[in-house]
Amino acid sequence: MPRRDDVLAGLGRFSEPALLVLISLADGPKHGYAMTQDIEAVAGQKLGPGTLYGAIARLEARRWIEPLPPQERRRPYRITAAGQRVLRHRLAGLQAVARVGRARLAEG
Amino acid sequence: MAAAERLLRLYPRAWRERYGEEFLATVGRGPLQMQQMIDIVSGAIDAWSSTEVRGVTRPAAPDDGKERRMRIGLRGVCERGTLRYTRRDALIGAAVMLLATLALSAMVMAARRNGWTTADAVLTQLAFPGSLVLSMPFWLLKGQSWRSQAVLMAGLLAVLLAIAWLASLT
Repeated sequence: MPRRDDVLAGLGRFSEPALLVLISLADGPKHGYAMTQDIEAVAGQKLGPGTLYGAIARLEARRWIEPLPPQERRRPYRITAAGQRVLRHRLAGLQAVARVGRARLAEG
Repeated sequence: MAAAERLLRLYPRAWRERYGEEFLATVGRGPLQMQQMIDIVSGAIDAWSSTEVRGVTRPAAPDDGKERRMRIGLRGVCERGTLRYTRRDALIGAAVMLLATLALSAMVMAARRNGWTTADAVLTQLAFPGSLVLSMPFWLLKGQSWRSQAVLMAGLLAVLLAIAWLASLT
Protein backbone atom coordinates (compact mmCIF):
# COMPACT_ATOMS: atom_id res chain seq x y z
CA MET A 1 0.00 0.00 0.00
CA PRO A 2 1.50 3.40 -0.93
CA ARG A 3 2.55 5.65 1.94
CA ARG A 4 0.36 8.68 2.43
CA ASP A 5 3.36 11.04 2.18
CA ASP A 6 4.43 9.56 -1.16
CA VAL A 7 2.85 12.07 -3.54
CA LEU A 8 4.30 10.29 -6.56
CA ALA A 9 2.17 7.24 -5.71
CA GLY A 10 -0.84 9.30 -6.85
CA LEU A 11 0.44 8.82 -10.41
CA GLY A 12 -0.48 5.12 -10.30
CA ARG A 13 1.43 3.02 -12.82
CA PHE A 14 3.27 6.16 -13.92
CA SER A 15 4.81 6.76 -10.49
CA GLU A 16 8.04 4.91 -11.26
CA PRO A 17 8.54 6.37 -14.76
CA ALA A 18 7.77 9.83 -13.30
CA LEU A 19 10.38 9.31 -10.57
CA LEU A 20 12.93 8.31 -13.23
CA VAL A 21 12.08 11.40 -15.31
CA LEU A 22 12.52 13.67 -12.27
CA ILE A 23 15.87 12.02 -11.49
CA SER A 24 16.92 12.46 -15.12
CA LEU A 25 16.05 16.16 -15.07
CA ALA A 26 17.67 16.79 -11.69
CA ASP A 27 21.04 17.63 -13.29
CA GLY A 28 19.67 19.88 -16.03
CA PRO A 29 17.05 20.20 -18.81
CA LYS A 30 16.67 17.36 -21.31
CA HIS A 31 14.39 16.47 -24.19
CA GLY A 32 12.54 13.16 -24.49
CA TYR A 33 15.24 11.22 -26.33
CA ALA A 34 17.99 12.38 -23.96
CA MET A 35 15.79 11.38 -21.01
CA THR A 36 15.28 7.83 -22.31
CA GLN A 37 19.03 7.46 -22.92
CA ASP A 38 19.88 8.85 -19.49
CA ILE A 39 17.29 6.68 -17.71
CA GLU A 40 18.57 3.59 -19.50
CA ALA A 41 22.13 4.41 -18.45
CA VAL A 42 21.21 5.21 -14.84
CA ALA A 43 18.45 2.71 -14.06
CA GLY A 44 18.82 0.11 -16.81
CA GLN A 45 15.22 0.68 -17.90
CA LYS A 46 14.24 1.67 -21.42
CA LEU A 47 11.04 3.71 -21.14
CA GLY A 48 8.73 3.31 -24.12
CA PRO A 49 7.57 6.54 -25.79
CA GLY A 50 3.96 6.08 -24.63
CA THR A 51 5.07 5.61 -21.03
CA LEU A 52 7.57 8.48 -21.21
CA TYR A 53 5.03 11.00 -22.50
CA GLY A 54 2.35 9.70 -20.11
CA ALA A 55 4.75 10.51 -17.27
CA ILE A 56 5.80 13.86 -18.78
CA ALA A 57 2.16 14.97 -19.21
CA ARG A 58 1.35 14.10 -15.58
CA LEU A 59 4.46 15.83 -14.22
CA GLU A 60 3.66 18.88 -16.33
CA ALA A 61 0.04 18.89 -15.08
CA ARG A 62 1.34 18.97 -11.50
CA ARG A 63 3.91 21.66 -12.42
CA TRP A 64 6.79 19.47 -11.24
CA ILE A 65 8.46 19.92 -14.62
CA GLU A 66 8.05 22.65 -17.23
CA PRO A 67 8.68 22.80 -20.97
CA LEU A 68 11.34 25.09 -22.44
CA PRO A 69 11.22 26.58 -25.95
CA PRO A 70 11.64 23.84 -28.59
CA GLN A 71 15.03 23.28 -30.19
CA GLU A 72 14.36 22.16 -33.75
CA ARG A 73 11.77 19.37 -33.29
CA ARG A 74 12.72 18.58 -29.72
CA ARG A 75 11.39 20.30 -26.64
CA PRO A 76 13.53 20.18 -23.52
CA TYR A 77 11.97 20.05 -20.04
CA ARG A 78 13.33 21.21 -16.74
CA ILE A 79 12.47 20.30 -13.19
CA THR A 80 10.73 23.03 -11.16
CA ALA A 81 11.34 23.93 -7.52
CA ALA A 82 8.19 21.96 -6.58
CA GLY A 83 9.49 18.98 -8.58
CA GLN A 84 12.81 19.15 -6.74
CA ARG A 85 10.98 19.11 -3.40
CA VAL A 86 8.93 16.07 -4.45
CA LEU A 87 12.03 14.26 -5.70
CA ARG A 88 14.01 15.03 -2.54
CA HIS A 89 11.13 13.77 -0.40
CA ARG A 90 10.70 10.57 -2.41
CA LEU A 91 14.43 9.79 -2.43
CA ALA A 92 14.57 10.30 1.34
CA GLY A 93 11.67 7.82 1.70
CA LEU A 94 13.41 5.27 -0.53
CA GLN A 95 16.65 5.75 1.42
CA ALA A 96 14.84 5.02 4.70
CA VAL A 97 13.31 1.85 3.21
CA ALA A 98 16.69 0.76 1.83
CA ARG A 99 18.30 1.36 5.24
CA VAL A 100 15.73 -0.90 6.92
CA GLY A 101 16.17 -3.55 4.23
CA ARG A 102 19.96 -3.54 4.60
CA ALA A 103 19.70 -3.70 8.39
CA ARG A 104 17.34 -6.69 8.20
CA LEU A 105 19.62 -8.48 5.78
CA ALA A 106 22.54 -7.94 8.15
CA GLU A 107 20.49 -9.38 11.03
CA GLY A 108 19.48 -12.47 9.06
CA MET B 1 4.60 7.09 -43.67
CA ALA B 2 6.67 5.66 -40.79
CA ALA B 3 5.04 3.30 -38.30
CA ALA B 4 5.42 5.83 -35.48
CA GLU B 5 3.55 8.48 -37.48
CA ARG B 6 0.73 6.05 -38.19
CA LEU B 7 0.46 5.06 -34.53
CA LEU B 8 0.58 8.72 -33.50
CA ARG B 9 -2.76 9.15 -35.25
CA LEU B 10 -4.34 7.03 -32.51
CA TYR B 11 -3.73 9.89 -30.05
CA PRO B 12 -6.22 12.73 -29.54
CA ARG B 13 -5.65 15.73 -31.80
CA ALA B 14 -4.90 18.07 -28.88
CA TRP B 15 -2.28 15.61 -27.62
CA ARG B 16 -0.69 15.39 -31.08
CA GLU B 17 -0.57 19.16 -31.34
CA ARG B 18 1.10 19.42 -27.95
CA TYR B 19 3.53 16.47 -28.00
CA GLY B 20 3.41 15.04 -31.55
CA GLU B 21 6.58 16.64 -32.98
CA GLU B 22 8.82 15.84 -30.03
CA PHE B 23 7.26 12.39 -29.68
CA LEU B 24 8.27 11.55 -33.27
CA ALA B 25 11.71 13.05 -32.70
CA THR B 26 12.09 10.82 -29.62
CA VAL B 27 10.88 7.65 -31.36
CA GLY B 28 12.90 8.26 -34.54
CA ARG B 29 12.01 7.15 -38.04
CA GLY B 30 13.37 3.64 -37.94
CA PRO B 31 11.29 0.47 -37.63
CA LEU B 32 9.58 -0.06 -34.28
CA GLN B 33 9.95 -3.10 -32.05
CA MET B 34 6.76 -4.90 -31.00
CA GLN B 35 7.25 -3.75 -27.39
CA GLN B 36 7.47 -0.11 -28.52
CA MET B 37 4.29 -0.48 -30.60
CA ILE B 38 2.39 -1.93 -27.63
CA ASP B 39 3.70 0.92 -25.46
CA ILE B 40 2.59 3.54 -28.00
CA VAL B 41 -0.91 1.99 -28.30
CA SER B 42 -1.30 1.80 -24.52
CA GLY B 43 -0.10 5.43 -24.37
CA ALA B 44 -2.89 6.35 -26.82
CA ILE B 45 -5.49 4.65 -24.62
CA ASP B 46 -4.09 6.56 -21.66
CA ALA B 47 -4.14 9.86 -23.59
CA TRP B 48 -7.85 9.33 -24.38
CA SER B 49 -8.88 8.10 -20.95
CA SER B 50 -6.87 10.22 -18.49
CA THR B 51 -8.54 13.50 -17.54
CA GLU B 52 -5.19 14.73 -16.23
CA VAL B 53 -3.42 14.18 -19.55
CA ARG B 54 -6.33 15.73 -21.45
CA GLY B 55 -6.17 18.69 -19.08
CA VAL B 56 -2.52 19.41 -19.82
CA THR B 57 -2.97 19.13 -23.59
CA ARG B 58 -6.01 21.42 -23.60
CA PRO B 59 -5.16 25.09 -24.25
CA ALA B 60 -4.96 27.12 -21.00
CA ALA B 61 -8.08 29.11 -20.12
CA PRO B 62 -7.46 32.85 -20.57
CA ASP B 63 -7.83 35.16 -17.57
CA ASP B 64 -9.88 37.75 -19.41
CA GLY B 65 -13.64 37.14 -19.02
CA LYS B 66 -14.53 38.17 -22.55
CA GLU B 67 -11.89 35.93 -24.08
CA ARG B 68 -13.05 33.12 -21.83
CA ARG B 69 -16.66 33.45 -23.00
CA MET B 70 -15.49 33.51 -26.62
CA ARG B 71 -13.43 30.40 -26.03
CA ILE B 72 -16.38 28.56 -24.50
CA GLY B 73 -18.55 29.59 -27.46
CA LEU B 74 -15.96 28.45 -29.97
CA ARG B 75 -15.00 25.30 -28.14
CA GLY B 76 -17.73 23.22 -29.73
CA VAL B 77 -16.61 24.30 -33.19
CA CYS B 78 -12.84 24.22 -32.73
CA GLU B 79 -12.12 21.37 -30.35
CA ARG B 80 -13.58 18.42 -32.20
CA GLY B 81 -10.43 16.43 -31.49
CA THR B 82 -10.86 16.58 -27.72
CA LEU B 83 -12.86 14.13 -25.69
CA ARG B 84 -16.40 15.21 -24.81
CA TYR B 85 -19.15 12.97 -23.59
CA THR B 86 -22.18 13.68 -21.50
CA ARG B 87 -23.76 11.77 -18.63
CA ARG B 88 -26.30 10.44 -21.14
CA ASP B 89 -23.51 9.10 -23.38
CA ALA B 90 -21.92 7.41 -20.37
CA LEU B 91 -25.25 5.76 -19.50
CA ILE B 92 -25.74 4.57 -23.09
CA GLY B 93 -22.15 3.23 -23.04
CA ALA B 94 -22.87 1.38 -19.79
CA ALA B 95 -26.09 -0.10 -21.23
CA VAL B 96 -24.24 -1.29 -24.37
CA MET B 97 -21.54 -2.80 -22.20
CA LEU B 98 -24.11 -4.63 -20.10
CA LEU B 99 -25.93 -5.99 -23.15
CA ALA B 100 -22.67 -7.04 -24.81
CA THR B 101 -21.59 -8.82 -21.61
CA LEU B 102 -24.92 -10.67 -21.51
CA ALA B 103 -24.63 -11.62 -25.20
CA LEU B 104 -21.05 -12.87 -24.76
CA SER B 105 -22.07 -14.76 -21.60
CA ALA B 106 -24.86 -16.45 -23.58
CA MET B 107 -22.26 -17.44 -26.18
CA VAL B 108 -20.05 -18.86 -23.41
CA MET B 109 -22.93 -20.98 -22.16
CA ALA B 110 -23.73 -22.20 -25.69
CA ALA B 111 -20.07 -23.11 -26.27
CA ARG B 112 -19.96 -24.94 -22.92
CA ARG B 113 -23.15 -26.86 -23.70
CA ASN B 114 -21.74 -27.99 -27.06
CA GLY B 115 -18.35 -28.93 -25.59
CA TRP B 116 -16.37 -26.34 -27.61
CA THR B 117 -13.63 -25.92 -25.01
CA THR B 118 -11.41 -23.43 -26.89
CA ALA B 119 -14.35 -21.16 -27.75
CA ASP B 120 -15.55 -21.46 -24.16
CA ALA B 121 -12.16 -20.43 -22.74
CA VAL B 122 -11.64 -17.58 -25.23
CA LEU B 123 -15.13 -16.12 -24.79
CA THR B 124 -14.89 -16.34 -21.00
CA GLN B 125 -11.70 -14.25 -21.09
CA LEU B 126 -13.22 -11.85 -23.62
CA ALA B 127 -16.63 -11.24 -22.03
CA PHE B 128 -15.84 -8.18 -19.93
CA PRO B 129 -12.97 -6.44 -21.80
CA GLY B 130 -14.66 -7.15 -25.14
CA SER B 131 -17.87 -5.52 -23.92
CA LEU B 132 -15.92 -2.50 -22.73
CA VAL B 133 -14.31 -2.09 -26.16
CA LEU B 134 -17.68 -2.49 -27.91
CA SER B 135 -19.18 0.27 -25.76
CA MET B 136 -16.37 2.75 -26.51
CA PRO B 137 -17.92 4.40 -29.62
CA PHE B 138 -20.86 5.52 -27.48
CA TRP B 139 -18.79 7.49 -24.97
CA LEU B 140 -14.99 7.39 -24.99
CA LEU B 141 -14.58 7.58 -28.77
CA LYS B 142 -17.65 9.72 -29.41
CA GLY B 143 -17.02 12.48 -31.92
CA GLN B 144 -14.04 10.72 -33.50
CA SER B 145 -14.00 9.78 -37.17
CA TRP B 146 -15.34 6.31 -38.01
CA ARG B 147 -11.85 5.43 -39.21
CA SER B 148 -10.19 6.21 -35.86
CA GLN B 149 -12.93 4.31 -34.06
CA ALA B 150 -12.61 1.30 -36.38
CA VAL B 151 -8.79 1.17 -36.10
CA LEU B 152 -8.77 1.51 -32.32
CA MET B 153 -11.57 -0.99 -31.73
CA ALA B 154 -10.32 -3.56 -34.22
CA GLY B 155 -6.79 -3.26 -32.77
CA LEU B 156 -7.96 -3.66 -29.20
CA LEU B 157 -10.27 -6.57 -30.03
CA ALA B 158 -7.50 -8.31 -31.95
CA VAL B 159 -5.09 -7.92 -29.01
CA LEU B 160 -7.73 -9.16 -26.54
CA LEU B 161 -8.58 -12.10 -28.77
CA ALA B 162 -4.91 -13.04 -29.12
CA ILE B 163 -4.36 -12.83 -25.35
CA ALA B 164 -7.50 -14.91 -24.65
CA TRP B 165 -6.49 -17.50 -27.23
CA LEU B 166 -2.93 -17.74 -25.85
CA ALA B 167 -4.33 -18.07 -22.33
CA SER B 168 -6.59 -20.90 -23.49
CA LEU B 169 -3.52 -22.84 -24.69
CA THR B 170 -1.90 -22.94 -21.25
